[in-house]
Amino acid sequence: MMTQMVLRRIAIGFATLIVVSIIVFLATSILPGDVAQIILGQSATPETLAALRAELGMDQPGYVRYFSWLGNMAVGDLGISKAGGATIASLIGGRMGNTMVMAGLVALISIPISIALGLWAAMHPGTWLDRVVTFGTMCTISVPEFFIATILVLILAVELHWLPSTAYLTGNESFTELLRALAMPLLTLVIVVSAQMIRMTRAGILNVMSSPYIEMAILKGVPRRRIILRHAFFNAIGPIVNVIALNLAYLVSGVVIVETIFAYPGLAKLMIDGVQTRDLPLVQACAMIFCGTYVLLILLADVASILSNPRLRQPK
Amino acid sequence: MTDETKNKPVRGEISFSELTGGDKALVEKAIKRGYTRREALKIMMATGVTMAAAQNIFTTGQTAMAQTPKKGGSVRMASNLHGPDDQLDPPLFTSTIDYTRGRATYNSMIQHSNDLVPQPELAETFEPNADATEWTFKIRQGVEFHDGTPLTADDIIYSMNRHLGEESTSVIKSVLASVQEWKKMGSHEVKAIMNTPNSDLPTLLGLFQTKIVKNETTGDGIGTGPFTLETFEPGVKSVHKRNENYWREGAHLDAVEITAITDPVARVNALLAGDVQLATSIDPKAFRQVEEASGVTLLSTPAALQLGICCLKNAEPGSNDDFVKGMQYIQDRERIVKRVLKNKGSIGNDTPIMSAHGPDFCHELPQRPFDPDQAKFHFEKSGYSSAELYVAPVTPGIEDVCLLAQANCAKIGFDLQLKKVPTDGYWGAIWMNEPLNVVTWNMRPTANSQMAIQFGPGAAWNDTYWNNERMGELLSASLAETDPDKRHTMYCEMQTLIHEGSGMVIPAFSNINDGIADNVMNMPTVPLGQLGACEWPEFIWLA
Repeated sequence: MMTQMVLRRIAIGFATLIVVSIIVFLATSILPGDVAQIILGQSATPETLAALRAELGMDQPGYVRYFSWLGNMAVGDLGISKAGGATIASLIGGRMGNTMVMAGLVALISIPISIALGLWAAMHPGTWLDRVVTFGTMCTISVPEFFIATILVLILAVELHWLPSTAYLTGNESFTELLRALAMPLLTLVIVVSAQMIRMTRAGILNVMSSPYIEMAILKGVPRRRIILRHAFFNAIGPIVNVIALNLAYLVSGVVIVETIFAYPGLAKLMIDGVQTRDLPLVQACAMIFCGTYVLLILLADVASILSNPRLRQPK
Repeated sequence: MTDETKNKPVRGEISFSELTGGDKALVEKAIKRGYTRREALKIMMATGVTMAAAQNIFTTGQTAMAQTPKKGGSVRMASNLHGPDDQLDPPLFTSTIDYTRGRATYNSMIQHSNDLVPQPELAETFEPNADATEWTFKIRQGVEFHDGTPLTADDIIYSMNRHLGEESTSVIKSVLASVQEWKKMGSHEVKAIMNTPNSDLPTLLGLFQTKIVKNETTGDGIGTGPFTLETFEPGVKSVHKRNENYWREGAHLDAVEITAITDPVARVNALLAGDVQLATSIDPKAFRQVEEASGVTLLSTPAALQLGICCLKNAEPGSNDDFVKGMQYIQDRERIVKRVLKNKGSIGNDTPIMSAHGPDFCHELPQRPFDPDQAKFHFEKSGYSSAELYVAPVTPGIEDVCLLAQANCAKIGFDLQLKKVPTDGYWGAIWMNEPLNVVTWNMRPTANSQMAIQFGPGAAWNDTYWNNERMGELLSASLAETDPDKRHTMYCEMQTLIHEGSGMVIPAFSNINDGIADNVMNMPTVPLGQLGACEWPEFIWLA
């Protein structure tokens, strides 16, 4: 039963990927201008455009380019960047590593903190501690991340000179040097993603706390701490894991603003650059990676919530 | 006063070493920024210092600071744009970051000085024949590529041929179209056979895209330049190490790192925090922040970076001369320079030429004033009461220029609507397509190339579709003219034609504004691009 459900989820995931690939392909082809026009920019003339288009093999019809790309992708060949001539695998390779390092570190720091703070706030609802946490997270959710990033740079880099203002990597730094270089974007992202996870943990647990069996536990005289850790938490884990998965997917695909402000060469920025240069194969490859990440993480979250909640194991 | 006495300190007058801290810093900054004697004296005298004292302070200050260049150190530069399309192949260079990497890695035949006089680089000498239909270049002997291959005429011919012919995808193909053929005359001599006489050819051979690569290669980072390429990651960074086998004195720095920070606020912050020593394209909004911060300087170089509004002459409403006149008279030029460009710019006279172009600039042409009454008169005569202008932030300040024009138009009852569009895709979809749009142009090294590219009849980038036969005649005739007076008359006639007849509105020119750390010395100020037209890698040193 369990494996069947997981297999069904995987099949749905694949279908999603195919649909996304078509949408991305269509969406990128209606962007104004093509890669030749963007490369040449203000210096484009009809002759140089034609010469460059022919050189880039862009005179083929759209569906031919789509299917040949899909076929190549299936065997792991991501193609060649139209804009720079490097292979897309090589462009993405290093960026992917950077993104994973950043996402991994942020997750490592923010998930334990968030769950701990969320649980703590749920254990003491209505106290001033709870109020500080809810008010603080509300503030950081409401403030755009570029604002948090800029404020942090102004204080910690420009005024105090404690940390570098950009996440500039030389490629051969030690772990502590790496941490120092990444400190500012890490801090920004931890603040941004923790807020949501804290609120979700707190809300999820308080929600379960109002259910009859918890009331029963309270009437039996079980201590509040035990109720939360033993009974409420495992029942609330479904929505919490889902919010964690969404935030992790966001860390892989959606941190373009933070990457821009700290000049950090990650995947999201690469995709934006790809859109700006109309480098379709690059955009499509990034989009597929992002979509794949979402599908995978949501799948894991679903499996986790099924495991934590026996009721979900039985299909209705 | 001769130059000799000018440079001697005068006894009895206050000298540099006697100044108080703040004043000293000010003079130091002026000298470091490369102010000429006259500019520096003007500033000092404006603060009430006597002529003699000002002379003395400047001279003693220069002596105090004239240190010998120091070897060593490394510099990190942050440009404003980069991406996976970053190039090492010179004919395809399109952005400051490409130009800078090109400058560090390769050499051109010709180099531009700060005042745009062509200087020998890989070409030791360059001589035209009597009517400028042929140019002969003697190539420097004993120059080696980074891999040890000696430079010969073959490399030059190969590199230059990449700009010619139908197959060429070179960005400057049309700029070098006056060359018919490159001919090898010996192992170290080449000749350019021209289609049309061009006395400005050497200047054009100093353009960013004319870098010399090795025969049969397409820009793999092997050049003859002052730095060898260590690593290059498009859209991330490149690292360059000093070429110890360089044919000139060689770079002072051990290494340079070239990267970009695309966000303008983050770029300024990185400069202020000391994470980068050079930052390009400082936004006018950040001028004060950079000027007031300690340890960094705003390097503002007057240049012909036009803030232009194109009224297409082949479409309504630009085809109507009165409409264009109305648009020109409604520009509050002084206010634009003062408020929008924060005084880091110059007033434009609806021609692309300005004082930075040197003697070819027509001072005699009367300045078009801000005159709402005239504008109202011309708008009414044109019969239009509204128009739609496409605006993208193609250069800092252009949106404010359009907003100001909109406000001033509203005062005289003309409805100028602004349609804001992104720069992404702008050059393909809007520029030269929509009847009213905005434009900016990098400064070209000669007045002729600047006008030919944009106002030559039938030119590929004639962005107002203004085709004037007389203009075409003058553009080619002036290239063959060697008499300075006659040449100036011709250039004046051309600027007058553009000023009177074209569809271009050019209310102002922006300076090139970059931020540099105070310990960066000997910064070039070639006005053809950011950071001294990217000439800095070979010449700067760290104090």
